[in-house]
Order: sequence, then structure tokens, then C-alpha cells
Amino acid sequence: MSSLSKLIRNENMKIYRRPRTWIMIAFLLLTVALLSGLMNWESYRNPSTDWEQGLIQVNSSMQQELQNNQELNGDQKKQLTEQIKLNEYYLEQGINPRELSLWDYVNNSSSLIILVTILTVIIAADMIAAEFSWGTIKLLLIGPASRTKIMVSKYIATMGFALLLLLLCFGSAFAAGGILEGFDGLSQPLLSVNADGIVQESSMIVDVLQKYGFAVISLIMYVTMAFMISSAFRSSSMAIAFSLLFMLVGNTVTMLLSSYSWVKYLLFANIDLTRYLEGSSPLRPEMTLSFSILMLAIYYLAFQFIAWLLFTKRDVAG
Amino acid sequence: MTEAVLQLRNVTKKIGGRTIVDNLTFDIPAGEVFGFLGPNGAGKTTTIRMIVGLISMTKGEALIKGVSVRNYFELAMTHVGAIVENPEMYKFLTGYQNLALFARRHNGITKERINEVVTMLGLQNRIHEKVKRYSLGMRQRLGVAQAILHRPSLLILDEPTNGLDPAGIRELRDYLRKLTKEEGISVIVSSHLLSEMELMCDRVAIIQGGKLMDIRSLQETRDAAQTKIIIEVDDIPAAEQLLASVFDTARMNVIGDQLELTADKEAIPHITKLLVNAEIEVLGIHAVQKSLEDQFLEITGGEMIV
Ligand SMILES: Nc1ncnc2c1ncn2[C@@H]1O[C@H](COP(=O)(O)OP(=O)(O)O)[C@@H](O)[C@H]1O
Ligand SMILES: [Mg+2]
Repeated sequence: MSSLSKLIRNENMKIYRRPRTWIMIAFLLLTVALLSGLMNWESYRNPSTDWEQGLIQVNSSMQQELQNNQELNGDQKKQLTEQIKLNEYYLEQGINPRELSLWDYVNNSSSLIILVTILTVIIAADMIAAEFSWGTIKLLLIGPASRTKIMVSKYIATMGFALLLLLLCFGSAFAAGGILEGFDGLSQPLLSVNADGIVQESSMIVDVLQKYGFAVISLIMYVTMAFMISSAFRSSSMAIAFSLLFMLVGNTVTMLLSSYSWVKYLLFANIDLTRYLEGSSPLRPEMTLSFSILMLAIYYLAFQFIAWLLFTKRDVAG
Repeated sequence: MTEAVLQLRNVTKKIGGRTIVDNLTFDIPAGEVFGFLGPNGAGKTTTIRMIVGLISMTKGEALIKGVSVRNYFELAMTHVGAIVENPEMYKFLTGYQNLALFARRHNGITKERINEVVTMLGLQNRIHEKVKRYSLGMRQRLGVAQAILHRPSLLILDEPTNGLDPAGIRELRDYLRKLTKEEGISVIVSSHLLSEMELMCDRVAIIQGGKLMDIRSLQETRDAAQTKIIIEVDDIPAAEQLLASVFDTARMNVIGDQLELTADKEAIPHITKLLVNAEIEVLGIHAVQKSLEDQFLEITGGEMIV
């Protein structure tokens, strides 16, 4: 009887022996390089030689805004006050906030997790369907491994690929930031204003990991959905097309329909948990963080269960 | 007959109200090349798919070395290797990488074993080439290599001669013989062509419309087919009486105005002499080489494509 770890090795072999996979990886690395290059070029083009003067001006105009504009609500006022506090802190400490550091590059790379998601969705959608397209499903299933075990090995290999891309995304942005701005920015803290109105320092890496974490949650949801679609359609191209279509169109459609209350039960309304962070709002006012987490858990289990049913219970003929 | 390597018990498949495989019950003895013979659409592939668990059975049970495929799938599959329809492998991998991949599913397949199988099937020269460059015959052999890596008791090949040229078919026959001899494997091959099964199989199950029509030993059938002597004489009862003194009456049979006798061809001069001496007019006497094909066509009602 096959061991799970050996089945996972087999699945990895099928992923990494295909040129397509390496094209994807190269594409991701290239995108990170391009993004980092652009950031660097942008800051080089607009040198902030007189940044202190600039900050003083910004602060005074924000002060005026606070005093004169009657239409500001509580949140906006709080934001302005905090920004002013931060700017004052920058001026006191002599920190130029617009000067890029290594962490800005890593932070920015979190916006590329959508690319990681798309690439992993393509791999996931292909994972089961391709075996049918190639006709290798028969040999795969006629062996001392249950279908459940085979499916689990495929899912784990897919998640392994996602993890690899995430590490590459993080690592390459880190390297690019280090090379372009120097690795001495590593210890730079994240500055924010706490509840008592005092500027405090916190760890930059925790902040970056939090950004990654939120993006990874939606990655897991999309990839698991693609995996289910792969198990439903026995053709690679159909599975890839439908997975990408759902992912790209689903969000837009959900936005358009957000006036209906039932929209809150859709996957896409819940998938972006950053909506519950300060300064943002959920798609519908009655939605809460725990509601969204519950919905995501339900969707996740449903995707897994349907994928399992479709893969293990159906006849493999033709 | 030694212990059965495969037992089918009331194996039935219905799809959409149509019975595709109908209550198949038979045993396949160990150590033989066993054929599933039947016209296209007879249900051979469907039966094989059920045996290896690709599709579910509507009813019945298949036991491989006594292990139920349904209840102990993983264990049952350690005893079997199979190619169902086309021998599809991962085209972006080399032959060797494919074998390594399939070997990893089993316990204890060494590099030496992989090399041994590669040599046995004559693949050593091109085993490190990508499978997409293989001919059908080579893919077929790689498929067989994959199926026997783990020394299964039973090898199942569905229509293995499809698409092979006569030389390829001869090679297939040769290495199947070698496998049964050197590895002690029992083999099931399916085909709709008797002419191809004839030289390959020890025994065939004839399947038609999803039903088992007959199981025949090809050697016995061949022997029986070659020894019928048809005698045409003017006085049948007299001839019958005369020959009864020499031959076993159980081997004689009167059909119309002909006397059929199961005997060697060499008996013809002797019989002729007897009849002539007894002054019975001999109108004709000849040995009938009723071919295997004729016999099988009788069983299937003429539907077999030979
Ligand atoms: N998945 C299926 N759905 C409906 N009918 C099928 C299916 N698979 C096979 N059949 C039908 O079952 C019959 C037997 O098919 P098959 O087992 O492939 O025959 P053989 O291999 O002997 O040529 C054919 O008439 C075929 O059309
Ligand atoms: Mg067939």
C-alpha cells in the first residue's frame, strides 16, 4: 500500500517536471523584479531633498482642514489627527517617511499574492482534470492507493506549490529591497499611533506577515475551489477556464449585487477579511468578522467534500 | 487446475437501465494466458474496468487472489497490474521516470528490479527518452513494464494488439510467454480478434452481449477440430456396424447421410480398406479441418470479426 509521502512526491514530480511550472515561477520572479525596479525608479525620479519643509506644509494644511471643515466625521478626524502626530514624530526624529526601505518592497510584494493565487489556481485546476485529459487517470487509480489518498496527495502538492510561490514572492522582494536600498533597513520599526494618541514602534515583519496572511486566506479559498472544479470537469482546459472565470468575475458580480442582502452569503463577499480592519468596511453593514470566518469555513468544507465525492464516487470510463 | 487467481461472482453492470455486463461468474486459473474474446461492444472493457475498480459494480464481486476488490481495494491492487485500453503514460517524463513514479507507489521495488523489467521488455536503449517520442509498440511495452514492476500475480491487458503491426503482435506474444514462464504471472488479454488470441492464449472466455457464452481451452478445441473424418457411403448402418468393431461408438456420429468419426487423419487408409473389403460403396471420405474460427462463429452466431 502506498504511503502518502511517496504519493506526494509523485505529484510533485508531475508538477515540477513540466516546463510550464518553471515558466510560471520565472514570470512571478520577473514581476517582483519589475515592481521593485519601478518603485526604485519612482523614488529616484522624485527626490525628496526638502522633505522636512514638505512635511511641515502638509501638517499645517491638515490642521486647517481639521478646524475649518465641518463635514468631517469622527473617523476622518481621528485619521487626520494621527497623521499629524506621526509627521511630527518624523520631524522630531529626523526620519524621512518617503525614503524607501527594504520593508517597503516586501510590503508591496503582498499585492502580488493575487498573481500567486492565479498561478496556483491554474495548477490546482489542472491537478485532477489533466490526468483525465492525458488518459493517465487509469494507471493512477489502478494501484495500491485509495482514491481518497490520491486526492489528499494532490491537494497537499498543490498547497506546496502555493507555499513555494509565496516564499519566492517574499524572498525575491526582500532580496530586491535589500539590494536596492541596503539591508540596514531591516531593523526599521513600523510607526503607528496607539489608542492613547502616542506614537509607538512595532515590528515591521509582523505587519508584513499579517498582510500576507490575509491574502493567503483568499488564496486557499480560490485554490480549493479550483481543485473542486478540477474534480468536476474531466478536461484541463475547461477546469482552468472555469476556475479563472469564477475568480475574476465573481468579485465584480458580487460588488454589483451588494445592495441585495443575500449577497453576504456568497464566497466573494467574505473572502477579503481586510475589510474588517480599521479604516475599511464590509460589503454589507450587517456583516461581522466572525460571520465571514464562519462562511469561509463552510465554503471550505463544502468545496473539499464535493471534490472528494466527485473524485471517489464516480465511474472512470471513456 | 491450480488455485484461481481471479474469481468473478455474478459481476453485473447496468448503466441507464441497460445491462452491459450480465452476471459473469467464472474463475481464471493461475499460470495461464487467459483470453476475453468477444465482438466490439461485448462488455470486455467494462468487465476489466470493474475488476480493477475503475468503475463500480451494480452487483457481484471480483476476488483477486481471494481478496475482494471492493472491500480491500488497496490490498487487492498489490496483486494486479493492468493496462486498460490505451497505454497512456506521462508524456513529459522519460520512460524511466514513469517507471520510477509507478514503482514508488509500491513497497520495496529496487532500482535493480526496474532495470530488470526494462531489459526483459527490451526497452533499455530508449528508456531515458521522453515518452512523447515513443511509438505505440514501445508505449505498450512501457505500460506492461509498469504493470509488472511489483511482481503481481495477475496482469490484465485490454485489447493489447490494437494498433500493433504483425511484428508488434508477435513481440507481444513472445514477451507474454516469457512473463508467464519467468515471472509466473497469470495474464488476461481481451480481444475481438480470434486470430490474435489463438496463438497467445491457453484458454478463452467467449463474451457476447455482456454474457458469458463459453470457456474453451484452445488446445483441446484445436485437437478436437482436427480429427473429424467424414465418411459418405451408400449404406450408412452397415458402415456404422462395421466401424463399431474397430472404433469406440461414442466417437461416431451419423449426421444425415454422413458418418462422422473422431479419429486421426492417419486412420483414413485403414477405414477405406475396411469399407472396401466389406463391399460398401465409398462415395467420399475426408478429414475435416473445422477451424477454430468456424467453431467460435457457431458460438457467437456469426458475429465475431475474425
Ligand atoms: N459509460 C458508459 N455509458 C453507457 N454505455 C456504455 C458505457 N461504457 C460502455 N458502454 C456500452 O457498453 C457496451 C460494452 O462496452 P465495452 O465494455 O467497451 O465493450 P468491449 O470492450 O467489449 O468492446 C457498449 O455497447 C458500450 O456502448
Ligand atoms: Mg474494449
